[in-house]
Amino acid sequence: MTELEAGRARALVPVSSGAALQRYRDVLIAVIAFAVLASLPLFTGSKALLDFVIRCSAYGLFATSLNLLVGYTGLTSFGHGMFFGLGAYGFGLIMQKLGVPIPVAFVATLAITAVIAAIIGAICVRLKEIYFAFVTLAFQMLIHSTILSWASFTGGDQGLRGGIPRPTFLGINLANHIHLYVASCALLILGLLAMRQIAQSPFGYTLRMIRDNAARASFLGIDVWRAKLTVFVLAALFAAMGGMVMALFVSGAYPEFAYWTISGEAIFINMLGGVSTFLGPMVGTVLLLLLNDTVTRFTEYHGIVLGVVILFFALGLRKGLLDFVAEWFARRRKTGEGR
Amino acid sequence: MTRTRTPGISRRSTLALMGAGAMTFAAPWVARAQAKTIKIGMPTILSGRVAQLGTSSRNAVMLEVEKVNAAGGLAGRQIEMVVRDSKGQPQEAARVARELVNTDGCELLLDGEASSGSFAVHEVARDLGVLCIHTCSEASSLTADPKQHIPNAFRCVRQGIHDSIVGGSYAAAISKAKGLKKWATCSPDYAYGRDTTGEFTLYLKRFAPDVEIISESWPKLFQPDYTEVVTKILQAKPQALYSCLWGGDLTSYIDQANIYAMFGQMEVFAVNMADYTALTVVKNLPKGIHSGNRYIKTFPTTPENAAWGDAYKAKYNEYPTNWSWQNATAVMFLAEAAKKANSADGKKLAEVLKGLTIKCPFGADGTVTMRGDDHTLVGYAIGWGTTIPQEPYVPEVKAGDWKTIFELEAEWKKSKGYT
Repeated sequence: MTELEAGRARALVPVSSGAALQRYRDVLIAVIAFAVLASLPLFTGSKALLDFVIRCSAYGLFATSLNLLVGYTGLTSFGHGMFFGLGAYGFGLIMQKLGVPIPVAFVATLAITAVIAAIIGAICVRLKEIYFAFVTLAFQMLIHSTILSWASFTGGDQGLRGGIPRPTFLGINLANHIHLYVASCALLILGLLAMRQIAQSPFGYTLRMIRDNAARASFLGIDVWRAKLTVFVLAALFAAMGGMVMALFVSGAYPEFAYWTISGEAIFINMLGGVSTFLGPMVGTVLLLLLNDTVTRFTEYHGIVLGVVILFFALGLRKGLLDFVAEWFARRRKTGEGR
Repeated sequence: MTRTRTPGISRRSTLALMGAGAMTFAAPWVARAQAKTIKIGMPTILSGRVAQLGTSSRNAVMLEVEKVNAAGGLAGRQIEMVVRDSKGQPQEAARVARELVNTDGCELLLDGEASSGSFAVHEVARDLGVLCIHTCSEASSLTADPKQHIPNAFRCVRQGIHDSIVGGSYAAAISKAKGLKKWATCSPDYAYGRDTTGEFTLYLKRFAPDVEIISESWPKLFQPDYTEVVTKILQAKPQALYSCLWGGDLTSYIDQANIYAMFGQMEVFAVNMADYTALTVVKNLPKGIHSGNRYIKTFPTTPENAAWGDAYKAKYNEYPTNWSWQNATAVMFLAEAAKKANSADGKKLAEVLKGLTIKCPFGADGTVTMRGDDHTLVGYAIGWGTTIPQEPYVPEVKAGDWKTIFELEAEWKKSKGYT
C-alpha cells in the first residue's frame, strides 16, 4: 500500500460512520416530511392542493425510480412507463376481478411486476446505451399493444371501467379523499426513503461505478449484468407503486399509462429537476406538474410554453434545476473557504 | 330620577331606520347572490390530432350559452363556461374535471372527452356527485352497462349501437337490391373500430343473411400510408366495402384509394363520411359513397337545423361537426331542465333530466329525449345517404326507424348481459 493509499484508507473510517449518521438523518427527514405532508389537510381545505400532492406522489415515485437507472446506473430507459402502466393495470384488475383486500392486491401487483421486469430486464440489460433505450421502448410498445388488443380483459382503449373498488382495511378507507391523500404521502415517503437507502448503500455505489466504467467494475469482480438486472427490477417496483397511486387517484387504468409518452414525461422530469442529486426528479415532478397545471389553465398552446422551458433548461442551465442549485452552493462554499 | 323623553328621533325609530337602510343597501347584494353566475366546467380536447373536434364542441356550447344567457340564464343565473384542455389524456381529464369542481367552483360538468377520457371523467362525477353530461363519447357501454350507471351522469351523444343498427339495415337493403354478397371491411385497429365494425356486420347479416365478409383490414389509428390496405382490398375483389375510419384517417384513405380508382370498383359504405370535417377536406370526393349522417345541415331537412348550421358557420367561419350538435343539445337540455325545475341545482336538474323530451333542431321528429332508464340520448336524427362532390354533399338522407332501433338495441343489451 502506498502512502497515498494508506491515507485514503484512514479517511474511509469516518465515512462509514458518517454513512450511518446520514442514514439516521434520512429517516429523520422522511419522518418530518411525512408529518408535514400528512398534517396539511389540518391547515387547508383545498382539495386541489391535496390532489396535486397525490399526483406528485405518483409521478415522483415513477420519476425517481427512473433516476435509479438513468442517474445512478447510466441506463437510459425509454420504456420505463411500461411498469407505471403495469402497476396501474395490475392493481386495478386484481381489485376488480378478485376483490381481495388492498394490501394483498398491492403486494401481488409488485410480485407480478417483479417477474415481468426480471424477464424484460434479463434481455435488455445486456445491451448498451441506445440499444438498451430502444429495446426497452420496444417492450413498452409491446405491453401497450397488448393492453389495447386484449380488450376483453383490459377494456382495450377505453381502459378499466367501472371504478376500482376500495374496501376498507385496517381502518383505512381509500374512497375517502383524506385517507387516500395520507396513504399516497406515506407511499411516496416510504418509496423515496427505500430508494435513498438503495442509492447510498454499497450496492448504490456499485451502480455508480458501473455507470462510470462498467469494464473496470467487471475487472474488480462485480457481476455487472446481475447488478444492472437487480436495479432494473427494483426501479420497476417503485414505478409500479407510482402507477398504483395514479390508478387510485383516477379510479381506473388507461392505456395512456403504458404509452411511450409517459416514459417521455419521466425523462423530461429528470431533465427538469436534475439527475445528479437524489431529490432532483422530485423537484422536477413538482415543477412539471405546476407548469402543466398553471399553463393549461390559461392556454391550449401549452406545448409551446413547455418547449421554451425545455430549451431554457437544456441550453440555458445545461442541467436540471437541483443540479444547478447544488453546484451553485458548492461553488459559493469553495469561494467562502478560499477567502 | 325621572326619565323624560327627549325630543327628536327615538331609539326604536333609529333602529328601524338603520334596519331599513341596511335592507336598502343589502338588497342588490341579496339579489346578486341569488342571481349569481353558475359556472359550468368543460374538460375537452383542445390540442393534438383531434383538437378540431374539441374546439368545435366549445364553439357550439358558447353559441348556445349566449342564447341561454340572453334569455335570462339558467333559472335566473348567468352561465359562465370554464373550458380546459385535457390533451386527450384520461389522467389529465380526471385532474382537470376535479380541479374545475374543487378549485374553480363549477357546479355542473359538460364532459367533452372521447373514449377513455370520458370514463375517467365519469369516475370523477361518481366520486364528487356533481351533475355531468357526457357530450362526445359514443362508446355504448358508458350508459348501457349498468355498472357504469350513476344518478348524476347523463350522455347526450349518438351511440355506436344505434349507428350500426341503422347502417346495417340500410346496407342490407342496398345489398339485396344490387346483389352485393361479397363484402370487405377496413376499420381502425382499436376498440371503436373493431366494435363498430362487428356490430355493423352483425346487423348487415341479420337483414341480408347471404352476405359474406371476404376480407378484413385493420390499419393502425393515425396510419399515414394505406397502400397495402387498398391493394389488399382490390385483390380480394369485394362488391362492397364497409369502413368506420374517421377524420384525417378517412380523408387520407380516400385520397390514396382514389389513385387506384377504388371507388368505381365497389360500393363503399363509410359511416363517418358525412361530416364536414371529412367532406370539405377530401381532394376529390367520389360520388356515391354511402355514409351515416354525422352532422349535416341538410338532415334533418328542417329550417331550424339549416338555420343552426348557418348561424354556427356565420359565427365561426366553418361548419359544425358531429361533436358540435351534441354539445349544443346538452346546453339545450340544461336550459329546459332548469326551467322545469326552476333551479340550477345539480340534483334537481338530474331529477328533471330523466326522461325529459325537448324541442331540438337535431331531433328525428323535431324533439330529442334523455331516456330515463339509462340516461342516454334517443330520438336524434339518424340516417344514411350518398355523397356528391359539392354542397350539400349528401343531398338525400334516408332516415333510420327508431322503433327498429329500440327493438334491436334491447336485444343487443340482453345479449351483452346488460339487462
